[in-house]
Amino acid sequence: MSTTFLPCGEYHQNYREDHAWWQTKFIKAKMVLLMLVLFVGIPYVSDSYWLSVCNQIGYTVLGALGVQLLIGFCGQVTLGHAAFLAVGAYTSTLLILEFPWPKFLLDLGLAYPVSILIAAVVAGIWSVLFGLPSAKVKGFYLILTTMAAQFITVDFVITQYISQIGGRGQAFSLPLGTIKIGPWVIDSDLKVYYMMIVLVILLTALLVNLLRSRVGRAWVAIRDNDISAEVMGINVVQYKLMAFFVAGFIGGVAGAFWISNLAAISPEHFPWFWSLWLVGVILIGGVGSIHGTIFGSIFMVVVMELLQMAVIPLASSYPKLLMDFLFIKEAAFGLAICAFMIFEPNGLAYRWWQAKNYFNLWPFSY
Amino acid sequence: MKARALVMVLAMALAFSPAAMAQEVVIGALNDMTGATSDVGKDYALGIAEAVNYCNDNGGVNGKPIKLIQFDYGYRVPEALTKYKLFQRMKAVAVQGWGTGDTEALAPTVTADKMPYVSASYSGHLTDPKKTPYNLFAATDYSTNARATLTAWFDKRWPKHADFGKRKPRLACMFMAASPYASAPIKAIKDQAALLGFDIGPDQDVSLFAVDTKSQVLGLKDFKPDVLWHGNTTMSVATTMRDAYALGLGADHIVNLWAFDENLPRLAEKAAEGTMAGTVNAFYGENTPLMPKVLEYGKKFNPGVPPEKRTIHTIQAWSNVLALWEAMKRADKAGALNGEGILKKGFETMKDFDLGLGGAKLTYTDTDHRVSGTVPVYELRGGKFQLVQVVDLKGRWPDKWASWMGW
Repeated sequence: MSTTFLPCGEYHQNYREDHAWWQTKFIKAKMVLLMLVLFVGIPYVSDSYWLSVCNQIGYTVLGALGVQLLIGFCGQVTLGHAAFLAVGAYTSTLLILEFPWPKFLLDLGLAYPVSILIAAVVAGIWSVLFGLPSAKVKGFYLILTTMAAQFITVDFVITQYISQIGGRGQAFSLPLGTIKIGPWVIDSDLKVYYMMIVLVILLTALLVNLLRSRVGRAWVAIRDNDISAEVMGINVVQYKLMAFFVAGFIGGVAGAFWISNLAAISPEHFPWFWSLWLVGVILIGGVGSIHGTIFGSIFMVVVMELLQMAVIPLASSYPKLLMDFLFIKEAAFGLAICAFMIFEPNGLAYRWWQAKNYFNLWPFSY
Repeated sequence: MKARALVMVLAMALAFSPAAMAQEVVIGALNDMTGATSDVGKDYALGIAEAVNYCNDNGGVNGKPIKLIQFDYGYRVPEALTKYKLFQRMKAVAVQGWGTGDTEALAPTVTADKMPYVSASYSGHLTDPKKTPYNLFAATDYSTNARATLTAWFDKRWPKHADFGKRKPRLACMFMAASPYASAPIKAIKDQAALLGFDIGPDQDVSLFAVDTKSQVLGLKDFKPDVLWHGNTTMSVATTMRDAYALGLGADHIVNLWAFDENLPRLAEKAAEGTMAGTVNAFYGENTPLMPKVLEYGKKFNPGVPPEKRTIHTIQAWSNVLALWEAMKRADKAGALNGEGILKKGFETMKDFDLGLGGAKLTYTDTDHRVSGTVPVYELRGGKFQLVQVVDLKGRWPDKWASWMGW
């Protein structure tokens, strides 16, 4: 059942209506407006810098969706998700650089899109490998096994072996024109932005639909109490591994998207700190909420950029402020997590839910 | 309250508007004060700001003051990308960058944007103008330095070894494989080792954050290297040297320049004795024409950091700033103070240009961005740096010099 209160006079008469994505005409209008803002408004008003900030948000959302699925919906705490982003990024890059693509696929501009799909599947399978311990361990012990994913994948496999392919050294650079979707060469912030928006919408829809299905309900049951879930007949190990696969799949897409942003990668792009950062994103946004993933990503990226903007004018009087900004940013990150844990443990998503219901029920918000 | 907020917003908007910066030449700087390379990055960052102040006190860019926007990016590549975009938004005409990871990652972007990117990364991968025309630095590159340092060890130390003439010398490399900086010259030094007839041992992976490297040192016990190449920065290299000393490895040390500074003897003490490295400019306080100014500006703008705590990395920062300053002045004179102008009318018109800081005379051409083929190699004796040999790679291997560009 929907967790959103409907406006006065609106009610459901069947399950189809109850399960509809957009349940009222007003909500449909809001969604159309949102699409207009995303596809027309933001590109129209944003310069290259703000588009790159949006792309950073999108990358964070794509990375954090998998973390949200594992922690927020399946109860499997992960601290190594950057590893799966790295697998996606490297798989896509190597496919573009090394794979002998048939000419018609190159001509049609399908090499990169196909590489994204393959990267996602490879990252998903890689994620399942590191999800296997979840059959035996949970809690702190699982955290340690997921951290192993980071160190084994990035610091060992990618650094020592994958990076050596083609003899390029550590940094892989993608020549201009190789990142292409159909006739469009992805060579500007605007094109990266459109690609990001499409990917975020597709993957969010995929995850939301999965969560509304039998699979999603099984994940939530495992999160709430894995013993009870098993008693109810859910194959706990199978569903946990499925969650790891989907999280890795989404992470793989995120990694493959990232290469379009820079046209270069090295193992340094996927530090352990990024895994930690993604967990911070869902803690602030709201654990167990897809909205929370998006709000958390916007908060973490935009608030930091705005803080920086506030510091720049002061820099002429206090030049050291600019250099010290990273300290401020790190402190703000830590403080934000503490503050949310203490004052709003349900995250920004809960505030959004409250605000939305207030306006849905207005003027009779009792 | 509302009025105050409005005033704040207006002030920010004004300060941030292009109009406010119209008479200034904006340059961005990415530095590492808190990340993996902050052990050497802090001093470099101070040097950047001091050198820009010096340039402004000496007329800026033909009368236009330079506005420096300097950020600490913590050695994180995603952070570097958004900061770079911010520099663009603030109409920066050039960027003073830092690490090899972000510099190489941004290389395709700066090439597309025609943004001169003068980095503290001297990676050999950035020296081929056909691939990375807008990546520049005022120093000989890591690969050239590594080749020169190994050659100097081979010329000066190996003939004095008890086994000289009986067997081949043995080289092993210790560096963080995941770091593009540390791994940048590895292919070149191994190529040089093969050229000089070395046996090459197994690489040892040492983190930039390493505090214990005994297992890596023990991993070389069987190979018994005569010389070890250290590719990391000072902190982790000092750790490795101490462990090698404690475990009696008995090898000489040759290091990349970001580990060859005034802090190395302080941290590694006796273990660093005899260490050799190719340098790119004078050490802090050495006798060069511009050094009095460096000392003066250090005292003036960072009085809290006494001269004895400063390092060669300050001078490296000054070199990069002064080279960019000269390029901007030349471009401005030619009426082309933009990315392409700074490259073509600035850097690529420099021939044997002396910065006055004890480094190589700078020559950039449109076919080769390696500034020089000559590297002075120093060694550490009793806590002091002494010149061992000036290695002229270009003169010694003229047939190979051209093919060494870009890696």
